Amino acid sequence: MGLYSTATISADAVKLCVFDLRRGQREGDEVEKILFFYPSEVPLTEQLSVIGLSEGLITFTRIFSPDVACEVIEAERHSHVFYEVEPDIWMVMVVEKNRELDGIWRIEALRGMLKEVHSLFVMFNGSIRAMLDKESSGALVRSHLFSFITDYLFACQKRYPLDFCCWDLLAGKKLQLPSFRDSLQERGTVQMLTVGRDAAIEIQSLVRVLESCAGSAGCHSLVLFHDLLVSTSLCPDDTVNLYTYAVMRMSPRALSTSVSSWSYLRKGNSSAHLTTGSVLPTSSSSSERVQGSRDTSPSGDNRYLIARPLQQDKWSKGKDGFLVTNRWGSDMHASLPTVWLQQTKERMYLCAHQHKNVTIILLIPVTFINNADREIPVLKQQLLENASLKILKVEEKLSKGWGGENAYHVSGYRYLLVDGDRSVSRASPAAKAATLSKESLIAMCKLREEIDLEKSRTKGDDGNHGKDLELCIRAKNNAWVVARVLRGKELYVVLEKANETLLYASDAIEKFSNRYCNGAFS
Amino acid sequence: MASDSTSSSSDSAYDSAADHNPNSDTPINNHDSAIDDHLTSLTLTPLDEDLAPEKEREIEETDQTPMPEIGVTEVEEEAADVLASEVVVEEERESNSVSATGDVGLAWREEEVEAPASPGSSGYAGERGSSNASSASGIEEIGEDQVAERDGGLVNGVADSQPAWIPGKRHVNEDDTSILWRRRKKHFFILSHSGKPIYSRYGDEHKLAGFSATLQAIISFVENGGDRVKLVRAGKHQVVFLVKGPIYLVCISCTEEPYESLRGQLELLYGQMILILTKSVNRCFEKNAKFDMTPLLGGTDAVFSSLIHSFSWNPATFLHAYTCLPLAYPTRQAAGAILQDVADSGVLFAILMCKHKVVSLVGAEKASLHPDDMLLLSNFVMSSESFRTSESFSPICLPKYNSMAFLYAYVQYLDVNTYLMLLTTRSDAFYHLKECRASIEAVFLKSNVLSEVQRSMLDGGMHIEDLPVDPSSRSGSASSHLGQHSPERFRDTYTSLGGPCGLWHFIYRSIYLDQYVSSEFSAPINTPQQQKRLYRAYQKIYASMHDKGFGPNKTQFRRDDNYVLLCWVTQDFELYAAFDPLADKAMAIKTCNRVCQWVKDVENEIFLLGASPFSW
Repeated sequence: MGLYSTATISADAVKLCVFDLRRGQREGDEVEKILFFYPSEVPLTEQLSVIGLSEGLITFTRIFSPDVACEVIEAERHSHVFYEVEPDIWMVMVVEKNRELDGIWRIEALRGMLKEVHSLFVMFNGSIRAMLDKESSGALVRSHLFSFITDYLFACQKRYPLDFCCWDLLAGKKLQLPSFRDSLQERGTVQMLTVGRDAAIEIQSLVRVLESCAGSAGCHSLVLFHDLLVSTSLCPDDTVNLYTYAVMRMSPRALSTSVSSWSYLRKGNSSAHLTTGSVLPTSSSSSERVQGSRDTSPSGDNRYLIARPLQQDKWSKGKDGFLVTNRWGSDMHASLPTVWLQQTKERMYLCAHQHKNVTIILLIPVTFINNADREIPVLKQQLLENASLKILKVEEKLSKGWGGENAYHVSGYRYLLVDGDRSVSRASPAAKAATLSKESLIAMCKLREEIDLEKSRTKGDDGNHGKDLELCIRAKNNAWVVARVLRGKELYVVLEKANETLLYASDAIEKFSNRYCNGAFS
Repeated sequence: MASDSTSSSSDSAYDSAADHNPNSDTPINNHDSAIDDHLTSLTLTPLDEDLAPEKEREIEETDQTPMPEIGVTEVEEEAADVLASEVVVEEERESNSVSATGDVGLAWREEEVEAPASPGSSGYAGERGSSNASSASGIEEIGEDQVAERDGGLVNGVADSQPAWIPGKRHVNEDDTSILWRRRKKHFFILSHSGKPIYSRYGDEHKLAGFSATLQAIISFVENGGDRVKLVRAGKHQVVFLVKGPIYLVCISCTEEPYESLRGQLELLYGQMILILTKSVNRCFEKNAKFDMTPLLGGTDAVFSSLIHSFSWNPATFLHAYTCLPLAYPTRQAAGAILQDVADSGVLFAILMCKHKVVSLVGAEKASLHPDDMLLLSNFVMSSESFRTSESFSPICLPKYNSMAFLYAYVQYLDVNTYLMLLTTRSDAFYHLKECRASIEAVFLKSNVLSEVQRSMLDGGMHIEDLPVDPSSRSGSASSHLGQHSPERFRDTYTSLGGPCGLWHFIYRSIYLDQYVSSEFSAPINTPQQQKRLYRAYQKIYASMHDKGFGPNKTQFRRDDNYVLLCWVTQDFELYAAFDPLADKAMAIKTCNRVCQWVKDVENEIFLLGASPFSW
């Protein structure tokens, strides 16, 4: 059994469920609704009670708000975060508010987790609904969700743009959730590397070579340097998904952590530590025998070969620089992982090559390849022949211009810059953000919650960007926490050692905007 | 009743949609089974797809100016149509209430006049019993009467710039199956822990029994899981819950007010109920869980609806402070002196108020009056018609003072807006207080207090246009009388609207005094809609500054499409100021400093100072 199988259970801390409102509508069949429940040890009656309350409130809120049903329940001891991942398919996370400060979070940050796990699931498996349509008993989708979400809970790494700490959500017995300490980060966005003109030209030509390797078919590529994105030919949504996955499992950092112990990487930056309920074996053979929710799928069911892309040690680097994966488990081409693109609804072979800190992801349409086992190796060979030199060159250029871990640190400022349209963000290095006092981080967390609310209010109003907003607060501890929202871009700054006047703080933001945001907020 | 609808055209749009789909066919919930805690009890039949036309404007009462009577009749009739089962009865009643206004109202009042006018005739004792049509329309009529009387008053100050607002229940013929009801912007419910409806802002409580049971089921479902539900958010809607022993309060709102504000409003609503009944009503529930409280609150719809209305214009509801009528210092001193004499003769609190503003206030030694209690008390008095017609002696409870016991309030209007309240613990003090009142009134006559009050109502308080250029140079000089506009007014030098540097409005709250002063509204904050929007913006910034547990923050600058808001919280005061959204930051800060100085210069006119025996 795995390392944590004996962990004590405090099932109350976090619950996560997926249910389908179209199923189990007859009395007595309610259990049919449940597609996933974490922790799976929770008694069925309790699972049904969580889902019953959720369903009841979804129905209740639709009386008044037919367009947007229940998004969150705040109770004294728990937050229930709702997300309708697909029509009538809901994901609900119930989190206990502990007395300690770490139990302060933004609801949107928690919802971000739900969005992320679902997007990744769809990328690898297609939609939940499609899977339910394929096999209406639900056993197929339950098996997939079970392995995927538990792997996610184990493996979701925190990603910082430059500070390379990544650790798993289920570190030891603790489940790590986004907390106020992550106020200066944004899940679901990409962190970009800023490159000079020379390097940009090199990268351009590399991308051209890469995408021509597979002929003229609609190939796509992503290039990463360390954990930062260098180039992409995908739309923002698909880019975010692949980038998220790459940083989680394929980047040099991810590969090295997966072989060694990853706990050492848990630097001073910690998140909410919550004792988790069930902790599942990660890599023992028994874990491959995926079981769905109790009573809802035959236990120990091994009928389905399930790809587990989020599993630890999934990838390793081969001698030729290509990343190889074992036992992908997909039905047709066991050794060749595939992903679905959201934009084109196309299935693509996922092919990754790594040279030092440069990771190249190449996506080749499945329809383009007749015999994958034969053609893909040929393609790889071509790629090596045509692009090797360019890859070397790019790597060299990028390494030379590389400012290191703190490249994007701006002294005196702790910031987060989000471009919602492009799903791109940049932030102070985590280690720097961690130097802020608790009070400042909490003030920023509250401020962001306020902005989240403002944003959600204006979301449905028109196609345009929401309100433009400027908010400067001098918190109790005298730190200035500032938010600027302008034309879909957001800037959050904490100034701890600032002068006491509002004008001083405003000037500081103005300077920052001019210097680092091309004056976007000036 | 007259002010209820948005416009007949938009309403009929809803109605025509609704007509095709008789709502009565849409059972919202099986409320027999709803009370048990099984999950199915939470499952409601969702809103019929056809019943929800594409996005339409939500409806909110208080924004609306009165409609011409004919239009209203039409709308109300159409609304009544929605309830197929009661079309005939309802329609008859509605047309009655509009066309036969005078008659119905008069009938009710005669009844009230016949009732004993002195000891024991409390304003809420009017029999309402059930929601039969005549009593409901009677209450509506009173509302209109009140407005008619008020209209004789002056138009100035925050409250007075509101359009004629009519207290009393709206849309009694709606219930949760009605599309109109579902679209109301802000619902308030009070129910008992067994799910029995006690109060609903819109619709007939009795028809909302099923809905009420659903609310109860949600609360108890979460409670059974060892937790307590506070808030549910869905899109722009928030459902806020407050549990007070056997009493459950719920607000369902899409007004974008912060959770803390809505919760505070529920607290006040509960306080208003306690003011009428005391907390000892809990004992009734201990004896009988299914106790029906509605008869106890019969006739008090107007009290609750006027409180709810104040949630959209009265800053006292979120600032937890009261405001004074601006008066020359000697005048207020004179008023205070005679009230003090009375207080020394065994009166717990002697309060002279003009509308919602305090003229003077005196308490017996060691007795302190919480601003929230004052708000609830004055709301109770102002919204109950019976207090206007004769001197009254009524049991009331001040929830923050002592939520378990009744006090007795002697209330008498001295002129159309000014009323005297003498509070005592003795139930037999009526004749004593009557004498007190007589002596007070005599002194007021002699010292012209009442005419000063009238004049102040006319002049209003602080006008932003009068903000002195350099207040410090003028401080100490006696020229800073509020009523007399200074010669060098900014209005002359600045062509823009509002005050200097784009200042539009401000609220200053003195922490030690528990009092606030709010500047008069002037251009461009002219219309009730704009005033309400500004009020809501203040409410939001207040909540943002006063985060429970981590606040308060010290300064906040907020710029959006509507305003620049500046908030400044110190140990002594809080300043909330609204500027033109394009206002210059540095100038705005300077202006705020000047406002603070100005307030300090005139504080003995705008605040009740010194005389206060308050101990907190």
